Amino acid sequence: MPLPPDFHFSQGSLQDFVDCPRRFQLRYLDGIAWPAVQAEPILENERHMQQGELFHLLAQQYLVGVPVARLTAMAQGDPDLAAWWQAFLASAPAELPGQRFPEVTLSAPLGVSGERRLVAKFDLVILATDGRAVIFDWKSSRHRPPRRWLAGRLQTRVYPWLLLHAGLDLNAGQPLAVDRIEMIYWFAGFPDRPERFAYSGSQAAEDGGYLNALVEQIALLADGEGVWPLTPDETHCRYCVYRSLCERGVEAGRLDEADYRDFEPEVEVDLDFEQIAEVEY
Amino acid sequence: MSVELNPLQNAVVDRPLAGRVFLEGPAGAGKTTAAVQRLLRLLKAGVPGGAILVLAPQRTLAAPYELALRRSRLRAGGLPSIQTAGGLARRMVELFWPLAAGPAGFADPDRPPTFLTLETAQYHMARLVRPRLEEGAFESVVIDRNRLYSQILDNLNKAALVGFPHQEIGRRLADAWAGEPAQLRVYSDAQQCADLFRAHCLAHNLLDFSLQVEVFWRHLWPQPLCREHLLQSYRHLIVDNVEEDTPFAHDLLRDWLPQAESALLLYDQDAGYRQFLGADPASGYALRQLCDETVALGESLVTPPELQSLSSHLARALDQPASRPAAEVSPQAVRATLRFEEDLRFYPQMLDWTARQIADLLEEGESPGEIVVLAPFLSDALRYSLMERLARLDVPARSHRPSRALRDEPAARALLTLVTLAHAQWRLLPSRFDVAYSLMQAVEELDLVRGQLLAQIVYRPREGVPQLSSWERINPEMRQRISYVLGGRYDALRLWLGDSLRKGEQPLDHFLSRLFGEILSQRGYGFHDDLDAARVAATLVESVQKFRQGMASFGAAPTGFDTAPTGFDTAQTPTQPTDVSLSPWERAGVRELPSLGREYIAMVEDGVLAAQYVGAWQTPKEDAVLLAPAYTFLMMNRPVNYQFWLDIGSRGWFERLYQPLTHPYVLSRQWNGQRAWGDADEHAASQERLWRLAAGLLRRCRKGIFLGLSELGEQGFEQRGPLLWALNQVLRQLADDV
Repeated sequence: MPLPPDFHFSQGSLQDFVDCPRRFQLRYLDGIAWPAVQAEPILENERHMQQGELFHLLAQQYLVGVPVARLTAMAQGDPDLAAWWQAFLASAPAELPGQRFPEVTLSAPLGVSGERRLVAKFDLVILATDGRAVIFDWKSSRHRPPRRWLAGRLQTRVYPWLLLHAGLDLNAGQPLAVDRIEMIYWFAGFPDRPERFAYSGSQAAEDGGYLNALVEQIALLADGEGVWPLTPDETHCRYCVYRSLCERGVEAGRLDEADYRDFEPEVEVDLDFEQIAEVEY
Repeated sequence: MSVELNPLQNAVVDRPLAGRVFLEGPAGAGKTTAAVQRLLRLLKAGVPGGAILVLAPQRTLAAPYELALRRSRLRAGGLPSIQTAGGLARRMVELFWPLAAGPAGFADPDRPPTFLTLETAQYHMARLVRPRLEEGAFESVVIDRNRLYSQILDNLNKAALVGFPHQEIGRRLADAWAGEPAQLRVYSDAQQCADLFRAHCLAHNLLDFSLQVEVFWRHLWPQPLCREHLLQSYRHLIVDNVEEDTPFAHDLLRDWLPQAESALLLYDQDAGYRQFLGADPASGYALRQLCDETVALGESLVTPPELQSLSSHLARALDQPASRPAAEVSPQAVRATLRFEEDLRFYPQMLDWTARQIADLLEEGESPGEIVVLAPFLSDALRYSLMERLARLDVPARSHRPSRALRDEPAARALLTLVTLAHAQWRLLPSRFDVAYSLMQAVEELDLVRGQLLAQIVYRPREGVPQLSSWERINPEMRQRISYVLGGRYDALRLWLGDSLRKGEQPLDHFLSRLFGEILSQRGYGFHDDLDAARVAATLVESVQKFRQGMASFGAAPTGFDTAPTGFDTAQTPTQPTDVSLSPWERAGVRELPSLGREYIAMVEDGVLAAQYVGAWQTPKEDAVLLAPAYTFLMMNRPVNYQFWLDIGSRGWFERLYQPLTHPYVLSRQWNGQRAWGDADEHAASQERLWRLAAGLLRRCRKGIFLGLSELGEQGFEQRGPLLWALNQVLRQLADDV
């Protein structure tokens, strides 16, 4: 099945492809819903995902100007959340003078002839008064991943590249300077150890080439028939809901044995256009 | 994406970036096409995508914008937001909840809100209303209980969307009532239940649709922080189908338009089909005064003069103002747009005729996607009968929704049966047939005969507890008949169910996910290669999960109300919803505090949960004949070559749905409340509604209308509804004109 002309790539879908092409095919091309367990214990995984979502919401509320005292009261119901929130306030990761863009969505053409599209939603972009363009990504993972692991993630390549190409909408139509772009991962559980990635022209060229090659590879596979290659690294299968479909296991992997990933709901809600809630009766 | 536009459309697209335009015209005049091009032009001109808001009354009406944004080669940048006014309200309530929760009267403003879906709102309503029903409320009303719950929710929604206090619902309905006094009690009961529900929501941070709208409109929009956030975020507005939106949306736009840098409002003349959902064309049309310019696109790009002329004839027959067709057309040409068979006596004959005509059209080279079959309401029986006839003639067809509710899907039924088998402590006994059917679904290659045989042997309820016996205990002859391979699979499933019970009760959605992942989707089991069944399972898991998460605001543990007391008096009236000494359900007067899983199953059996038609698991066949209710087709807003109007003698084309607890006209902003709603009002409203419906359909038709007509209707009664009468008038007039 050829890639639909309106298919949008995201860092999540590209990461899935890199982890396992078959997962990309099942999840994004075939749209197969497979309600198996992602990781055990389910309740703990679910609770952690909800805490992550609530923390992101608190940060957004703070950035749009909701009074801190009200937010602090909201965070009190959950000890983990309260601790993350206090850490956020204490380390003030986003207190950079400049223009703030919380939860902003950007998109840009991708592919050799620009016929594909890449979309991402940023937790926060600040166009600082000193000329820097800083991307913040809030992480609520239990373990603080090492720099090398983060550097290999698609997010680290997609976000700065996309801001470079689509950020002019945030900057009154003016392009952003590539070497003034920076990406910061801020860890709610490790507030004093953010990870920073500076950007550069050479990195942007490398990322552009890599992303283009990736989508061409996907398009080529999509033009063909049959089952796409399964990952050779079967540890991915332990945390993949399609494991039974691929006949690669029965039970889900345990959270405490997982790597540094933040598990996310199976549907990437915000990468599609806004769901329109219909008037329901 | 290159689109040819006429000069008027071009003028709209190429206007200067700033300014507000009201674009009106009949359906098919090219308003949306122009607006989509305007959107692309704004982006091309450098307007940041994130600064554009496209507002539509419902998702289907926004489809052309979504499609254009996805398919066009847009420059890099932000993306426009496409929303409904209700969706916008919900997002703002979520974002600014800490500012609104206290002033809006929520009991626990420091806790996050729980947004109710239609399903979970109905659940809460059901729990609150049931004790009142036992006390004799709504005694004189004979409708399905779920429709009763949804009409109370509907009243609350109307109050929020029209903008009157919900405490006035009963009075407004009663003031307009001129019939039997017993009905006044019904309105009073409806008011009490609405009050109870609202108090319940406020006490537990629950937000149904009506509260989302009210909290936004009363407590957030007036606050500068929220208002500025929206006004600064979206400086360019494109609002389609203004006439189908509600006074709430119109009031919001009334405030917003003067602040917007640019705005384009689209208004369909003679429409307003969503009035029963609160749409108010009059308050929408008043927004015209806030625009700098009005542009009228008068000429239809869809409907040929013959059909326009038919529309004018129909208007006259229904005593409605008729517009003149674009060109003079002979009566013979108008008559030729209508095709029907006069001598059909029985309803099935009409369906046969319909299917045959469609097959003939396809044989003549027509594309299936250019044909729709419409009825005022599309019953499951009608859908099935027609789909079957079309299938026999090899006609590809699709329906606007699957023919079954989620709970009736075979895969969902099988899963729910397995749930009851695994949770023996609930003492729910599925029938032997259900067990056989569920085993057949679960175990690959197990056919119904062997499934029934297996269930006959292994399913042994004892003292009200369901039990499955082991494969080993079956005699060898029977084992051979069923086959050892299938028996082995059955036993693995049985052991898994038993094991899961021994581990203790777990949240039902988790149980279902494990059952699916660890057994049913493994090789050798029924869900492994059945992607549709997997999709149904996913929808069921999601439904259970939403239910469970919604109940978390009651302090419910994931598996149930473990710590709450049980067995209190049903008669307790929840007059003090904020009394914290009582549990939430005690305050609601609910008698038992069940396991959440069992509660879910009970509510499924009652038709409250898993009753929705979720279309996601049906792959839409685009190039297929569409079967849909007439209003659903109108809300898809796309023209076709041929329409079949089924059962034109039915009064369903004319009469509104029986809604004894509510009233779309009386609860609208256009009703002055000074007098009773009488028969003359009802007749005039119905006549106008029928005209708008027929005109809307004709404006979405390019070639011709097939009229499905039989002397006796679906129920076997003679049919002489007003649409049939009006069409007869038109035919007589055309014959006279000749």
